Amino acid sequence: MTIATDGAVPPAGTAPTPSRPGTSRRRRNVPTSPARQKLISVASVVGGLLIWELLGRFVVSNSLFLATPLQAMAELARMTASGELQYHVWVSGQEFIYGFLIASIAGIAIGLAMASSRAANAALGPWVAGLYATPIIAIAPLVILWAGIGIWSKVIVVISVVIFPVIINTEAGIRSTDKALVEAIRSFGASRTQLFTKVMLPSALPFILAGLRLGIGRGLIGVVVGELFGARAGVGFVILQSAEVFNMPRLFAGVAVLAAAGIALMALCRAAETKLVPWNRS
Amino acid sequence: MTDKADTKLQIADLTKSFGSLLALDNLNLDVQAGEFIALVGPSGCGKTTLLRILAGLEEPDLGGIWIDGREVAGPGSDRAVVFQADCLLPWRSVWHNTVIGLEINGRLDARNREYAMSLLELVGLKGFEKYYPWQLSGGMRQRVNLARALAVQPEVLLMDEPFSALDAQTREIMQVELLRIWEQGKKTVLFITHQIDEAVFLADKVVVLGRRPGRIREVLPVTLPRPRPLEIKRTAEFGHLVDTIWNLIEQDVRQSISEENARLEIGAD
Repeated sequence: MTIATDGAVPPAGTAPTPSRPGTSRRRRNVPTSPARQKLISVASVVGGLLIWELLGRFVVSNSLFLATPLQAMAELARMTASGELQYHVWVSGQEFIYGFLIASIAGIAIGLAMASSRAANAALGPWVAGLYATPIIAIAPLVILWAGIGIWSKVIVVISVVIFPVIINTEAGIRSTDKALVEAIRSFGASRTQLFTKVMLPSALPFILAGLRLGIGRGLIGVVVGELFGARAGVGFVILQSAEVFNMPRLFAGVAVLAAAGIALMALCRAAETKLVPWNRS
Repeated sequence: MTDKADTKLQIADLTKSFGSLLALDNLNLDVQAGEFIALVGPSGCGKTTLLRILAGLEEPDLGGIWIDGREVAGPGSDRAVVFQADCLLPWRSVWHNTVIGLEINGRLDARNREYAMSLLELVGLKGFEKYYPWQLSGGMRQRVNLARALAVQPEVLLMDEPFSALDAQTREIMQVELLRIWEQGKKTVLFITHQIDEAVFLADKVVVLGRRPGRIREVLPVTLPRPRPLEIKRTAEFGHLVDTIWNLIEQDVRQSISEENARLEIGAD
């Protein structure tokens, strides 16, 4: 259990405890309706961008140090028109998708093995716990050295950062299966395999998805850092190149693409969670 | 032994201890086919242990269980359990929860599907097949639990304080409902409860268990006529039976409370 609980992230929807009737009544004194909350969020983002734009124009007017949002957007439009952006996104996207898929499949498999076999847990546990805590991204230059500056070095970096939260969450998910549910199904004469596929695996699904969600952020970092250490193309490569020549609008355009990718992937993950684990919402 | 042919469930010399704690001591009980037996007793009388052994989730140290003269070991679909907490699988709809026992035993054919559907109708959940447990009330969930247990067509239905988590009103309604459902098929039922009035209301016989070690103190036949409406709880005969059982276990209950308190005080140190 020591490994399972360390760093395991509870699935979405389980973390906030349902508010008691008493507390919700008290909160009614300061009403913040969902529509109003959304408005505040939009105002906050627009306001932030506006301050940034003004800062870039009137305070840090040297374009070697800061680009304004409008400049970055203009650069983004230019790169899109020339097809350059699509190319770099495609390269980074491939690196991310291959790495993420391989890490997910292997991570879930290893997590399941660790949850179902004490021997596997004893053998792999220390490695997983140790490597999860290590900023493994630091070995990225070494990976580039071994695997070259092509796509596969980046895939390896992505795998190495995504796989550990997936393993840990899968294992924790299986282990946290409600014993009462297992007993109830066992009372019908279910075999070990049936208990695993019909009770433990579905019960672990919210945890596994939470692990994958964690992996998205880490995987994006993996792609960029990998590209910073050696690449011929990709969004990280664009950022590095722009930094070297002080092309700030281009640098911020690259960062904006990463931000957009992160937001989109997270939204996709949340949609998958609502679809696959509807019972976890209530 | 002329009634041997009618004996559905036979519990013989059942003994179980956990470490130095003797939970069940040489327990013997014969249950006739179609009989509704309620087991009452203070906490620590081993009633849950008994049910777990009957369900095959726990091994006895000595003795055994026979259903229709065949000794049973391990879990199997000749018995089905309706558990205390609601043990429905949250990711399965009402329908898929109802048929999971059939699924596990590879018996999910057209005829059994139809039977399961008729059970959902019987427990009053027709039209709720596609709902998920989190969309249902506590009472409805226990109805699904009941349908799930009945779906495998068990010889003996085991119920472990199935209504204890429900509020008082829902519990009374579920008791009436359970009797209505039971009258349809007259299954052999073993119903564990700590509520004496529930035991008297439901059962043909109330088995009173004593504590430390768990053994049968008394078996009281309930002669109240069937079908039993809720109003029967206000009759003198009902009250008399409840009093009799209470007097039998009062000493044990007090002792179990004081032991509980002692344990809490030790724990606090």
